[in-house]
Amino acid sequence: MRNALAEIAKYAFAFAVAALAGAVLVAVMRGDVLGAYRTFVWSSLGTAGGFAQTLNKMCPLLLGGLAVGLALRGGYFNIGVDGQIYAGAIAATGVALALETVANPALAPFAVVVGVLGGAAFAAIPAVLRAWWSVNEIFVTVMLNFVAVFLTEYLTTGPWNDVMAGEAITRLIPDAAKLPMLSVRAGSHVGIFLALASAVLVWLVLERTRWGFEVRALGDNERAARVAGIRTAWVTAAVLVASGALAGLAGAIEVTALHHRLILGLTPGYGIMAILIAVLGKARPLGILAASFAMAILLVGSDSLQRSVGLPASAALVFQALIVLSVLFVDAKRSVRA
Amino acid sequence: MSGPPTRSTERLRLEAISKRFGATIALAEAGFEVRAGEIHALLGENGAGKTTLMNVLSGLYHADAGRIWLDGRPAEIAEPRDAIRHRIGMVHQHFELIPPLTALENVIIGQEGSTLLLRRERQARGVAALAARFGFEVDLRAPVAALGLADQQKVEILKAIFRGVDILILDEPTTVLTPQEADALLRTLRTMASEGLSVVFISHKIHEVLGHCDRATVMRAGRSVGTVDASATTEQALVEMMIGERVARTAAPAEREVDDTVLLRVDDVTVAGRGGLPAVSHARFSIGRGEVVGLAGVDGNGQRELVEAIVGLRRVTGGRVELGGRNVTTTAVGDRLAQGLAYIPEDRLGDGALPSMSVAENLFLGVHRLARGGGLTYRPAAIRAGAAAPVRDYAIRGTATTPLGMLSGGNIQKVLIARALAVAGHGDTPLVVAHNPTRGLDVRTTEFVRRCLVDVSRRRGGVFLVSSDLDELMQLAHRILVLFRGAIVADLPSTAFDAYEIGRLMTGAAARA
Repeated sequence: MRNALAEIAKYAFAFAVAALAGAVLVAVMRGDVLGAYRTFVWSSLGTAGGFAQTLNKMCPLLLGGLAVGLALRGGYFNIGVDGQIYAGAIAATGVALALETVANPALAPFAVVVGVLGGAAFAAIPAVLRAWWSVNEIFVTVMLNFVAVFLTEYLTTGPWNDVMAGEAITRLIPDAAKLPMLSVRAGSHVGIFLALASAVLVWLVLERTRWGFEVRALGDNERAARVAGIRTAWVTAAVLVASGALAGLAGAIEVTALHHRLILGLTPGYGIMAILIAVLGKARPLGILAASFAMAILLVGSDSLQRSVGLPASAALVFQALIVLSVLFVDAKRSVRA
Repeated sequence: MSGPPTRSTERLRLEAISKRFGATIALAEAGFEVRAGEIHALLGENGAGKTTLMNVLSGLYHADAGRIWLDGRPAEIAEPRDAIRHRIGMVHQHFELIPPLTALENVIIGQEGSTLLLRRERQARGVAALAARFGFEVDLRAPVAALGLADQQKVEILKAIFRGVDILILDEPTTVLTPQEADALLRTLRTMASEGLSVVFISHKIHEVLGHCDRATVMRAGRSVGTVDASATTEQALVEMMIGERVARTAAPAEREVDDTVLLRVDDVTVAGRGGLPAVSHARFSIGRGEVVGLAGVDGNGQRELVEAIVGLRRVTGGRVELGGRNVTTTAVGDRLAQGLAYIPEDRLGDGALPSMSVAENLFLGVHRLARGGGLTYRPAAIRAGAAAPVRDYAIRGTATTPLGMLSGGNIQKVLIARALAVAGHGDTPLVVAHNPTRGLDVRTTEFVRRCLVDVSRRRGGVFLVSSDLDELMQLAHRILVLFRGAIVADLPSTAFDAYEIGRLMTGAAARA
């Protein structure tokens, strides 16, 4: 309990430091500090539309954070969440476009499932290489990010291109393949529920199944897990594939619930933010939930700063960096004292 | 080394040194005094604070309180550099050598001055002279990686004295040595002491202290209990000082019932090692029910490879392994464990412990694949409850929820042994493979671990005890196999146990069939 309070205090402190530094930043740019804060909070939390946007942003961040966090618990770094998001999005778009003429409402969940499988299949490459050939998963996942982006570029400008748009985007998916909105007026979709359900599922699997125990054992000491008879290669492969499946789900939701098509730039670096989120959330689903919510607020809030206060969009990145740095700093301070 | 002062001169005094790590008190006003030219033992159980105290002296730790006096003057030792300046050298339990560099390079590293070749030659001659003076027969041109542990230790000691030390601290120096090597080392230390060097000898082997040291300071729970003259004390008195109460010596091995049921058969097993040479070649032996079979050998003669081949962690390149008559040569580790094969690895932290997971989870590891009922689900409450009995029976310090990494080495070992015995209890061929199970443990825990192993054989299980501690093997085993360069060179019945003879076999002096 004392630990939990200390953790909360730590993050509160980190946010305070970041907010202060942010104020200095705004002041230096001759902006209205209080106005900026008001806009920031109001636009992300204060209005139905803003809150909806925050939830929509949170969806891929939470799923991506879970993907990175799950792999991390098994002792692996999945840097390929962006690629796996694209893979999931491509798979979901592909099946939705292929079944364009089918007006069955089951198409939407089917497309989502195919998207999950797409992400899993894409992650199976680094998974198998890591599990049986000890190829470092960091390199493979990073390289596959490029593959996914180029494949997306090809599909959005080539075979699936929306010729009317003149952009790197595909045709719209059929209505039957669209996930329902949560609130049409506010503009939020049901993806957040899928993401929250995934967080619960990841927690259950890690903490309440024997397989999850094996994953945690593997992440704590791979050698000891192997000596104790755990088939570490299979657990490794499975945890990385599951991680990819979570990212694939994020991609499928972006397509079926938000953009309703595949677009180049579907993920503006969610995979990288997911690493931050997983690290800040200590690879625990609850922590990842909190961190992804905070990150979503940050993204939406600073986006509006650009419009209302006239700060550059990159201010959001500066904010992000400030928060992460202050959390890491507080963390480091504490471990030195221990 | 400066000129030989008289032996009663006080050279070093540590006074009321205290050190805390978080909530743990590692040292509570510990101290002792060392004279010039003496070999002074620092004796105590694991966690008694011996190494911590010496780390304070060598500048690795900063004491919270207390004072250090050198030659009657207060000395400030805030970092290792200060210790070197005060001519204090320490040889750690885990050597700090650079394997690809030669022995000579390791000795002179940091002392090269400018990189002129001439100077280097002169230094080489200096090191060689130093080695000759103390009878260190080490190939100075050989890379350290190619040297055995005894030779590596000589390099460490040379390194310390080449820098010029008046006080040499050795942390458990004989753990890795054969009896002959240990004797040679202790004789060398005596020579060095007679020239005025003060040696602080950290140990928990009482017979070494009695036989070779001048005085001993006993530490217990971070305090110094007292200093005694080695010539005026007894083994029993020292043990009582160390642990504060009497311990019964380990029971001898169980009388073996005649029983031909073979639990483990190793048949002509060969394991590939580095560079294409076999690490184990044509090993052949078997272990029956109720039998404790020991494997003696100098570290690095293929013990690890043989053990890992039996457990299934390493592929054999020839021969077969049978458990209870079943061929398991290519069977996965987990399936061997399911038959009752239990493994206590030598490298506790590396191969056994899940440091950030709880004691209960560590006790569950491995067993989790054998426990019936429960299937897929993992119930933390049940696992915590299941840990209560082993925590109590094995006197594990901490609770079921304590992260394992917070415990001392001895307590971690207790957890690993509890787990291994649980695994053995689950199968129909109970066989415990224990690799150096008492290394680095204190007297009490050592006795406990040994009793656990003897109990396994009493309950008609088998024990394969691989140990570099000959006393332990002779005390516990019914038979001792001797491993030299990957080959089993002797299979001795208990009537033929003789430390010097086994020592000779271990060093290959008498390779016989």
